[in-house]
Amino acid sequence: MSRLDLVVEICGSAGEGTISAGEILSRFMSEEGYDIMSFDSYPAEIRGFGKCVAHTRISRGGVLTPGKFADVLIALNDIHSIGQLSVLKEKGVLIYDNKPARYHLEDQSVVGWLEPGMTPYGIPLTELSIKASGNARARNMVALGAFSALFGIDRDAFTESIRRRYGKKQQAVIDSNVNSFLEGYAWTLENVRKMDSFRFDGMSAEVKRDQLIINGNEATAMGALAAGLHLYAGYPITPATKIMEIMSKELPKRGGIFLQTEDEISSIAHVIGAGFAGERAMTGTSGPGFCLMSEFTGLAVMAEVPAVIVDSQRGGPSTGMPTKHEQSDLNIALYGGSGDSPRVVIAPTCVEECYQAAVLALYIAEKYQTLVILLLDFFLSNSIKNMDPPTAPETKYLNAHIVPDAEALSDYKRFRITENGISPRTIPGTEGGMFFATGLEHDERGKPVYDTVSHTRMTEKRFRKHKGIATEIPAPEVSGYEGDADIGVVAWGSSAGAAREAVEYANEKGIKAACFSSLFISPFPESELKLFSKRCRKILVPEMNYSGQFANMIARYLERPMERLNLVTGLPMASEDILKKIEEIEYL
Amino acid sequence: MPSNDHYVIIGNGPAGNHAADVLRKNDPDARITLLSNESMLFYYKHKLPALIKGTIGDTELSVKGARDYKEKNIRLRLGQEVERIDPRENRIYLKHMEIMSYTKLLIASGASPRVLPLVSNFAKHLKLFSSFTDALNQIGDIRNGRRYLVLGGDLVSFKFVRMLKSMGKEVDCLLYPDAFWPFTLTKDMAEAVNKSLTKDGIRVLSNDGLKSMNQTCEGIDVVTDNGYTATFDSVYAFLGMVPNISFALGSGIDTDRGILVNDHLKTNFNNVYAAGDCAQIYNPDIKSYWLSVGWKNAAVQGAVAAENLLGAGYVITPSPKSILSVEGFTVDTSWWENFD
Repeated sequence: MSRLDLVVEICGSAGEGTISAGEILSRFMSEEGYDIMSFDSYPAEIRGFGKCVAHTRISRGGVLTPGKFADVLIALNDIHSIGQLSVLKEKGVLIYDNKPARYHLEDQSVVGWLEPGMTPYGIPLTELSIKASGNARARNMVALGAFSALFGIDRDAFTESIRRRYGKKQQAVIDSNVNSFLEGYAWTLENVRKMDSFRFDGMSAEVKRDQLIINGNEATAMGALAAGLHLYAGYPITPATKIMEIMSKELPKRGGIFLQTEDEISSIAHVIGAGFAGERAMTGTSGPGFCLMSEFTGLAVMAEVPAVIVDSQRGGPSTGMPTKHEQSDLNIALYGGSGDSPRVVIAPTCVEECYQAAVLALYIAEKYQTLVILLLDFFLSNSIKNMDPPTAPETKYLNAHIVPDAEALSDYKRFRITENGISPRTIPGTEGGMFFATGLEHDERGKPVYDTVSHTRMTEKRFRKHKGIATEIPAPEVSGYEGDADIGVVAWGSSAGAAREAVEYANEKGIKAACFSSLFISPFPESELKLFSKRCRKILVPEMNYSGQFANMIARYLERPMERLNLVTGLPMASEDILKKIEEIEYL
Repeated sequence: MPSNDHYVIIGNGPAGNHAADVLRKNDPDARITLLSNESMLFYYKHKLPALIKGTIGDTELSVKGARDYKEKNIRLRLGQEVERIDPRENRIYLKHMEIMSYTKLLIASGASPRVLPLVSNFAKHLKLFSSFTDALNQIGDIRNGRRYLVLGGDLVSFKFVRMLKSMGKEVDCLLYPDAFWPFTLTKDMAEAVNKSLTKDGIRVLSNDGLKSMNQTCEGIDVVTDNGYTATFDSVYAFLGMVPNISFALGSGIDTDRGILVNDHLKTNFNNVYAAGDCAQIYNPDIKSYWLSVGWKNAAVQGAVAAENLLGAGYVITPSPKSILSVEGFTVDTSWWENFD
């Protein structure tokens, strides 16, 4: 813990305020000017006593991953925390309740399992919580107080942050939380001898009260709203539900429409209907819901209707692992559905990019009259990051609807064959702008036809749009060693952050490694990838799926052998795992 | 046939560690748990001054690493304090509210610095120093301070005084020959100590005592019985050691100053033994209890206690005399009877 980069985990049972405590800590450290990234894990069951972990990385100079291992583990529940000791670093710190309500049986106390070299700080969390608030529910705040005292965090600033956090609650709630925090702080200062050397004081950063602290779902929702989203239709599903919750509150305020539909099929149908009517529309789901939507995705492509689907990937096929992470919907996003069905796939690599990705998704869907799939994942949806408030999208991204001029309307062909594949589109009701829109192959007026020439021309038209889209996609992000590298890591989605960090670590170790990632998966910056590949002796593709879906995709572009790192742990990709693989293959 | 025993050893010093090694060697299948209230691995106490000076780090302080325990399948529980023992139920209650069970128990909890009645009025101003935890807590104060008073009441105090001096600090030493531990300093020895320390630039206050101490913003103002006044950054007390046995009081295990054991190191419970600085050992020859100090004695006793827990029935005998030089005088450090 010599440099300012601290990972704190709070582990408890559902209902113990674990996630709240993590959020309060993240918010405060962000306000104090630190870079933070948080990632919580919780049980799939809505109620119960399952294990919750709030994981926060606090750093200076940017964070790309939440970090695989923790420097500090705050144990609100002993049994759950015993398992979490496996991620505590060799010289990690444990803060635990040394005066629980009743004795633990042998080996059921977390401190009993601490490895030599780790430092335990026993704090009477329950006792102090009862003293400060009259009940044991504020143990989480006592623990934050203890943490602050141990690590030299400004007590008064933290207290104010808690007051702001609970500002709209009843005074009794605010007092209970603040008093419990102060009780934990004072007791620790008075009674605990600091054994480890890490402290925050003396490392203060610039105070930033106006920073946003948001997760990928929130950033996506913000981006979509900023881009003028008019309709959101959805059906709740982890981990995408948060987007729906935001839309249910925000859209009506803005004159938009929010619909909770009876299922995912209905959701995508509403989105296509709204798109057909000329409004920006979006739905959000996860893998199982996306499967249901896949039939309708073909309609959006065939009828050339703008539609945006957010698919926040989760673990496994079918219901799988709702609260676990995976990147295994790439194939269905790229290829799901019948026929030759070109679609745009955007996969943001971090929370900040989720905002930009949502803006681009709606813009491209509207301008190119096509299906855009925004691929998030469990980690991205739930990881919390602090960031400066994003700037509003440029005007061109707000209205990309290409309408026919008067001349075109005089002999209107909705699906006119054009050089860029885009045909000016009327909104239903436009005089002279009537057309047929079905799922059938059609001629330029939309009339169903099945002849070879029409089908060939229309298929080419639909695919031709991707050439135009390719000119609008952001340049891929290339980092790390700038010359001829030994290892080139090509990553996508949320694994790209871990890849960039791993490459940084590898460079620090003297390994010539570089990283390549693109926000757009389809269309993909093929030529840039080939240039990158040329200067790399080996290519490594890390991703969180078993079959190497992304590696298989880029294998089409790179006719060369590639190393793969495929994990299905249910956890986010860790830079440590990629670094290990880099080191393994460096000398091969 | 695999052993079903669970040996629990309270204490991670020389007695506890030697005992653990002997137990593992002779009982490969048993569970062995070593409990320590400190968070540091088994370490050399005599190297603590070097740690404070910065000439060595944590690693050089350790006698052995964590891997050693893993390889021997000895579960090391650091930073865990025993609250009480129930020898009738074979249970240990830990302060963090966990109940452990054992089949056989060795108490090797060592000793801690004591505060004598003659300075107890000033206890809140006194700093005690005997462990890694103390070193870690005081390392900043010691490195940053300028002037110190050391109450010299045991052998360690002289080492500490010299360490401070070697760090360029101003040091006064108030000698307590009559209350010296674990033996009384004779007049000749006290004079020799005085002469030796003075020669090294240390102000020695002899035939004096503490009259008052007051914390001010400048430091601690000290006035002695003889009227000497000075302000110190810290006052350190080295007035001997007292066995760590508070967790055994009232448990049914016989105690006096320490845990009372027979010459097999067994307590009044057949499956509970004690060894090292915390044990008061019966010597049938003189029909009285003896207390030992020092690493070597503790190690021997730990090994013997372990053998006896395994059923050997060895009798503990004083180790050969260990002669220590105290400022030019030689002292037998093996055994002391009068440890008040």
